Amino acid sequence: MRGEKVAGVLAAAALSLAACGTGNSGSSSKGDPIIFGAAVSLTGAQSKEGGLTKQGYDLWLDWINQQGGIVVNNVKHPVQIKYEDDQSNPNLSATLVQKLITDEKSQFILGPYGSAASATDAVVAEKNGIPMVEANGAAQSIFSHGYRYTFGVLSPAFKYLTGVLDMAATLSPKPATIAILSANDSFSVEVAKAIEDYAPTKGMQVVFNKQYPAAAPDVSGLVSQAKASNPDIVMNSGHLAEAIAINKAAKQLSLNAKIFAYSVGPSTPDFIKALGGDADYVYDGSQWTPQVKYQPSFYLSVSDYSKAYEKKYSSSEPPDYHVAESTAACLAFQKALENAGSLDPTKVRDALVKLDVMTFFGQLKFDDRGINIYKPMVVEQIQKGVHYTVFPPDVANGRPQYPTPAWSSR
Amino acid sequence: MSQFTQQVILGLLLGGVYVAVALGFSLVWGILNIVNLAHGAFVVIGAYLTWTLFAHLHLDPFLSLPIDAVALFVIGYALQRGVINRVIRAPVLFTFLLTFGLNLIIVSVLLVIFTGDFRSVTPGYSGRALQLGSISIPYIRVAGLAVAFALAAILWLILNRTRIGAAILAVGADRDAAQLVGVDLRHAYALTFAIGAAFAGVAGGIISTFQSITPTAGDPYTLQAFAVVILGGLGRVSATVAGGLLFGLIEVLAQSAPGLGSGYANAIAFAVLVIVLVVRPQGLLGRLA
Amino acid sequence: MIARVRTMPLTWRRTAMAVIAIALAVVLLAPLTSTDVAQQAGLPLITDKLWFRIATTVAMFVTLASAWNIIGGLTGYASFGNVAFFGLGAYGTGVLVSSLRVPFAIALFAAPLTAAAFALLVGIPLLRLRGHYFAVATLGVGVAVGEVVNNVGALGASNGLFPPIIRSDLLFFYLMLGAAAIAVLSTRIILKSRFGYGLLAIRENEEAAGVIGVNTTFYKVSAFVIAAALTGLAGGIFAQWNSFINQENVFPVTYNVEMILMAVLGGAGTLLGPVAGAIVLELIIQTLAGGGSASVYSQIGLGVLLAVCVIFIPRGVIDFFGGRSRLSLRYLRSTLRETSA
Repeated sequence: MRGEKVAGVLAAAALSLAACGTGNSGSSSKGDPIIFGAAVSLTGAQSKEGGLTKQGYDLWLDWINQQGGIVVNNVKHPVQIKYEDDQSNPNLSATLVQKLITDEKSQFILGPYGSAASATDAVVAEKNGIPMVEANGAAQSIFSHGYRYTFGVLSPAFKYLTGVLDMAATLSPKPATIAILSANDSFSVEVAKAIEDYAPTKGMQVVFNKQYPAAAPDVSGLVSQAKASNPDIVMNSGHLAEAIAINKAAKQLSLNAKIFAYSVGPSTPDFIKALGGDADYVYDGSQWTPQVKYQPSFYLSVSDYSKAYEKKYSSSEPPDYHVAESTAACLAFQKALENAGSLDPTKVRDALVKLDVMTFFGQLKFDDRGINIYKPMVVEQIQKGVHYTVFPPDVANGRPQYPTPAWSSR
Repeated sequence: MSQFTQQVILGLLLGGVYVAVALGFSLVWGILNIVNLAHGAFVVIGAYLTWTLFAHLHLDPFLSLPIDAVALFVIGYALQRGVINRVIRAPVLFTFLLTFGLNLIIVSVLLVIFTGDFRSVTPGYSGRALQLGSISIPYIRVAGLAVAFALAAILWLILNRTRIGAAILAVGADRDAAQLVGVDLRHAYALTFAIGAAFAGVAGGIISTFQSITPTAGDPYTLQAFAVVILGGLGRVSATVAGGLLFGLIEVLAQSAPGLGSGYANAIAFAVLVIVLVVRPQGLLGRLA
Repeated sequence: MIARVRTMPLTWRRTAMAVIAIALAVVLLAPLTSTDVAQQAGLPLITDKLWFRIATTVAMFVTLASAWNIIGGLTGYASFGNVAFFGLGAYGTGVLVSSLRVPFAIALFAAPLTAAAFALLVGIPLLRLRGHYFAVATLGVGVAVGEVVNNVGALGASNGLFPPIIRSDLLFFYLMLGAAAIAVLSTRIILKSRFGYGLLAIRENEEAAGVIGVNTTFYKVSAFVIAAALTGLAGGIFAQWNSFINQENVFPVTYNVEMILMAVLGGAGTLLGPVAGAIVLELIIQTLAGGGSASVYSQIGLGVLLAVCVIFIPRGVIDFFGGRSRLSLRYLRSTLRETSA
């Protein structure tokens, strides 16, 4: 307890030193604030994820304002972020983004949570000619319509679980069969489709592939069907609630696979809290983990980022990847603004197109659709209630515990 | 074959949950003619109570069920007496809108208190199951089903073997006549609503053991209670039990639809519902009003 | 209060009408200040993109509430599945413009047609049900249709459809306003016609209506189909305006509740009640939603407002234009007296 406090104080001291350092170096004058707008879900079904998104934005906001703001053309502009709550309702999100642009004079838009809201907001950004960088809509479908003002910093859906297959191919005995349970929303379907396409190239076979309606009340029926196909790997592309339910049902129905991997859920503290010891051995594909070893060219290092998060939110848990990817959206804007040397939305948009920078979150660079396909995803595993990054080996801080023991012997 | 048996068992276990959820909903609808859109919110309150007692006092989820029942009984009684009673005889749409408003309030208050974090109750025995050959029957789900049947039995006893129950049934049959023979209408209304809420609370306690709880988790349960009551028919405890078990079965078996057809599970469940309505509006076991 | 309304001095009514007429004229003409011609002429800009966004949304809900009123208010069949028509309309137009590249001007006609055809199909069996049973059956249909659409590959499945962006705010505002006008006009025509009297007769007593020679099935299904076509039209416009549709977007169960709320709070069964209800409620929702990050409290506020409205002004926010509502204050007063006795 005391150790944590001391660490916190040290981190704070380091932060303020860093702030002083850059604060004195520039001779730039102070400009008008730059206003960002964000419509995130603070209430409704996605309030949890929306809250994490806001944490990520706020973390950067504190830091950049400690620095005195974003330097654009030798002028330091402090930053404001205006928030609206879309109540997890994509139709409301569109109106609120328009309100942020018109009433709140937001010059740039930070994305909402979720693929549907991201798609809706992308249209508004496009119609207004305002750049939007989104961090929480991984479905690629948004990016195949020639929108010019929307960018996504996160790795697209198809990368979520293919990393797990890459890892599985290195293990022995090599798993051969896969069962997929997928929610039928756009993101989850893309994840599942990618597994199906990718598995044969790794010499594995999908033996069971079923969809369930998003927010299904009970998945145990599907889990028992999956059990009948006796798979080596059980994969879920869905959401936190179903990941928890599938894991519980797998134990109850003694579905013993060598690998359990879920697209969304295990990376959050809620997953371990809900399942306790049963959460062990579970893998997930993660946009980011606090253990990754990137060498950022600006902003905080990976470990300082975790410390800053734990301090600001008095958390004993390191930040979840939803937080990190949201912060990364801010970093994309910061660098693009610096590179553009202008606050003009079109110029900033052009700078985003050309952006190529290394951050604590990984490489930020967009293909011609606006998707960041350059950043890899990592594979995490929960081991004795702690997250370890286990793949790819060059960023890993642990080795996969394989195979997952049978439920009866745990 | 054993795969099919396994599916049927899981369907019935899920159905048990629906029975628990729908009993209170059916009672309130049948007697008071109120379609309570806040019913799912009551379920969630019960779930949060069980979670709170489990997480902080390590109380077994099944031991907290009576506490859920009492708490929700009090809440239900107060809400009916204080708010809903004021429009009890207005056209159905008004109680509909009122309870929609109440639902909004409860969900928002829960969000303020508990945040949007996913909560789940996982006692040590949660993963154990009875193994019969290749068939697994999770104990905790069986316990849930047993509680649901117990609730149904209690409701039947209250309605058919107690003075309060007689008063409630009298109110359901003819309000004015009930009042003439000396039933305190407001008390009878409030009791009915309170019992409905208490049952919802117990259902919530059961649900917390296998589903994640969030403040907004209740709305699907309102919809399912709706479906169960329609499927079984209004006005009989046995009809609700049958409707609940059947709806659980349909949902789980629909998930076995070949290929990606399982994505249609919800569509199938509601299509069956609509067909039942059209063919047999009083439900499978219901009496025509 | 009813008595006071009925004897309200004519001058007051006239003034009220005049105020409304002026307000209407402003709403109709204000958007024109955003055109290039007006801007070059130096006219002040009254409307911005947010104004258009909100005004178009309000017009959309006026259409939805008025359409619901035809089946729910006039005919007395409380449909909880009208969102199915909205969604089908949106997909009818959406699939034509995004997959088949049909011009929007033509594709828009598919919206009311798709919705009306579906209403005809399900209306005949469904309208045999009454009261709660009809409500639940329509609710079930609404949910089921949304779920099916979400699984059909040709309709984009879970990815949804992305109609190409059309950048005119003015176009969509006037289109949606047109849809609203058509909905209100249809209601007006129905109210004044033999058909309308037939619907009211069905609402008051269906058996009696049958006895006096009203072909109840034909009347009910017609009302259902008209309501569906209007709702579908709004959906079709929405699809192109929003340029993105999926299940979550165009089949939200909350829309069912919202349109009913608007019609009932405004005054179900009246001509202008649903219009007033839609305008007032949607503006309140939009204002509360714009409360920044404190909106959880604004949702509590909305819930309280709803409860208060239902308990204290159940007859609707405007009650001096129609008087056709059977949901009368007197009815409620007597109820209150009875239950609180």
